[in-house]
Amino acid sequence: MTPAPELTAAGHLPRTVRWRGLAFALSGCTAAYLAGPFVLGTFGQQILSQAFFYAIVVVTVDLLWGHTGILTFGQSAFFGIGAYAIAITRAYYSSGIPVTALALIGAMVVAALVGIAVGWLSFWDRASPIYVAVVTLALPVVFTQVILSGHAFTGSSSGLPFPVPDISIEQWYWISGGLLLLIGAAAYVFVKSDAGRLLVAIRENEERCRYLGLKTSRIKTGLMAVCGAVAALAGACYAMFANVAAPAYGDFVFGTQLVVWTALGGRGTLIGPILGTVFINYVSAVLGGNFPFVWLLLVGLIFIVVVVYLPAGLAPPVFSGALRLGRIVADALGVARVRAVASEAPESIGRDRFSVVVRPEPAGTPVLHGGSQVALELRGVSKHYGSLRALEDVTFRAHRGEVVGIVGPNGAGKTTLLRCISDGRERSAGEVIINGARIGRLPPQDGVAFGLGRKFQAPSVFEALTVGDCLRVARSYRATPSFWRRSRALELPEAAQRTIEATGLAALIDEPAGTLPHGMKQALELAMVLALEPAVLLLDEPTAGLTSTERAAIGAVLTGLAQSHGLCILVIEHDLDFVRNISSRLVVLHLGRIVADGPVSQIVGSEVVRQVYVGGGTVT
Amino acid sequence: MTAHAAETPWVGSKGDGGPALRVRGLRSGYGESDVLHGVSLSVEPRTIYAILGKNGMGKTTLLKTIMGFLLPRSGRVELLGYDVTRWPTYRLVRHGVSYVPQEKSIFQDLSVGDNLRLALPKSSDFHSRFEAVAARFPVLKERFQQRAGTLSGGEQKMLLIARALLARPRLLLVDEISEGLQPLMVWRLREILAEERGRTGLTIVLVEQNVDFALALADHYAVLKLGTIVEAGRVSDAGTREAVEQHLVI
Repeated sequence: MTPAPELTAAGHLPRTVRWRGLAFALSGCTAAYLAGPFVLGTFGQQILSQAFFYAIVVVTVDLLWGHTGILTFGQSAFFGIGAYAIAITRAYYSSGIPVTALALIGAMVVAALVGIAVGWLSFWDRASPIYVAVVTLALPVVFTQVILSGHAFTGSSSGLPFPVPDISIEQWYWISGGLLLLIGAAAYVFVKSDAGRLLVAIRENEERCRYLGLKTSRIKTGLMAVCGAVAALAGACYAMFANVAAPAYGDFVFGTQLVVWTALGGRGTLIGPILGTVFINYVSAVLGGNFPFVWLLLVGLIFIVVVVYLPAGLAPPVFSGALRLGRIVADALGVARVRAVASEAPESIGRDRFSVVVRPEPAGTPVLHGGSQVALELRGVSKHYGSLRALEDVTFRAHRGEVVGIVGPNGAGKTTLLRCISDGRERSAGEVIINGARIGRLPPQDGVAFGLGRKFQAPSVFEALTVGDCLRVARSYRATPSFWRRSRALELPEAAQRTIEATGLAALIDEPAGTLPHGMKQALELAMVLALEPAVLLLDEPTAGLTSTERAAIGAVLTGLAQSHGLCILVIEHDLDFVRNISSRLVVLHLGRIVADGPVSQIVGSEVVRQVYVGGGTVT
Repeated sequence: MTAHAAETPWVGSKGDGGPALRVRGLRSGYGESDVLHGVSLSVEPRTIYAILGKNGMGKTTLLKTIMGFLLPRSGRVELLGYDVTRWPTYRLVRHGVSYVPQEKSIFQDLSVGDNLRLALPKSSDFHSRFEAVAARFPVLKERFQQRAGTLSGGEQKMLLIARALLARPRLLLVDEISEGLQPLMVWRLREILAEERGRTGLTIVLVEQNVDFALALADHYAVLKLGTIVEAGRVSDAGTREAVEQHLVI
């Protein structure tokens, strides 16, 4: 297979250069931070400390919204929980260090629990993304109401002052900045890790994630809890810094500001939102005193301009501009080193990062020799949409090592059948039994544990991730991803590896999946499902959009799998020649019922197939 | 006859206002990657033109560039001799160009009927036109009130085609129309498109993976490879199939 060069042509150069740019930017920021106290007066340090605390919360907003796609207006409420936990403890109980530390931990635990509650309310399986926005919009409102109704105990609208530890402004500058650096670095390591990649996968295509066995609701709820706890930590420290806990720390306006700062800085970049928050807070404190209204107007205008012209935020254009400037300066100074490194690096990095490793066969893989064990059994499966009967009493068995072709006219219920097998909640009636186990009403993410793998009709991949990363996400069900490391090799079972080789995908492993042509996306999704090492494989038009050569190659991979691993494959396909080549048996669906079931040779030529499916003499 | 047509397009007899569609030296792509490297072709009115080629060769990109979804880097697109390069999509549609994309771009939450109504700016003549289309796709009449998202994959494809035909286009661009349709339907679709061409004088440009379908329907063909046309000619010429297949295999 020759890969399409227009796709491989996009070089890896920008990636390495971007890394260098980021390293420069980070060291610049750190230098500026360390120089702060020597350059700035107390006022400046105070403003920056405040901005650093805000930036910590903004990091959590960027993790939730920028990376995972969970739009949240409620991070302020967690910040407020932290602030009030410390304020109430120190005001009424004790201002000793151990009690304060306990209060800090308690605040984080409470915030995490609230985060879990938010997750439980917002991330049930069929909830649309609107739910979490509404729930997190309500959260700060509830928080403010609770504080206001606490009267003197919570200080109501005037806030709750409390005895604070004796820490100087400069010390706060180091504490807040250190905390931001720590949390920012931890967040950075996390999003670049194998586990962090799952967040982007969830943002891109949550349904596909579920069908890859990932319990996305749990992952999102966990993230919500951790982000809540971090925001509470920032809030608690901020209250001690400000000597008071005020309702404004946890209100809806602050929650929305956090989102605005994230968007301005460049969501999904971490460094962008942090710098954006620090910049806006610093400048607004400096200018806000002298020109209060003009400054607000200016911020509003900047926001509109960014939303309209720079939807990705300020960070990407600023960074690439700085980079270009850096390159021009380097050229002017005659520094050839930058270019030399950039042209050498991609080769080695590209190869090193994405070496595909064929996973060795596990020792106990059962190899079947014409076995007749039932792999999949359907008993009376039905699906009704109101009065419409999409499937009616479908009963059949499929054995290990068998490839069953499912054919039938458009609208016969073929895709519905696959959905009813893989998602227990879809069935109106009937039972599905896989390798002897009833799967009941389990959702698709649990069906994977029984060995189910499903490929959708329309290609369903993670468009923003590279081909290699899509496959890694698919592997994360089998191999638990690391939270801090990014694995260098891509380990694939042989079948998945053969699929990407046969279709030329192996050469496109560094390309974003979104730029692939239709047929390549189909092949990628198939490889992703095969990476799950399923026992029962459900394929919905797996080769639509592929050339006949590629079809034949994939057909060979599938029949090989069925024979060597005893895989049971159900395949919906309109191309009868393809079906004839790979399957031993055909099931014909018509109006939601099985109208014929038997060996391919008998079924293809039969009268019933001619009537409902093939029509006038196209296939003999 | 096979002509090497990278820069010298196949040009047929002169129509009254020039060819229905003429593309000259079209270059286009996404972001930093170039996909089309100077494609030229000319489609005469009332003919069917098939664009064949493997995955990733730029077939869909070509249609998207013609339709104004992608801005060409250079080159020209002409309709009946008029320069329409860089026209926005809606303007092309108003001038009688319809596009059936490969992905099933229907309005999932609208009914089948409402999806079809959207094809017409004025709804006064909807019913008479719909009857004509419904005669060809009876399933759409049965499901008229149903939410379009509940249609099966193949039925959604039929809805797309019906919606395009309802607008009575002069030029119809279709991307992988036969994919996901049952053999009987592919067969019927061939008849429907051929009939429609005969009845309304429609010009059709097909992008196809299904060579049998494309060659049975088309008058002219071109094979795209790595963003240039490497083979083009009349379908009726001897040796067409071999010429096409030689590019699809390797």
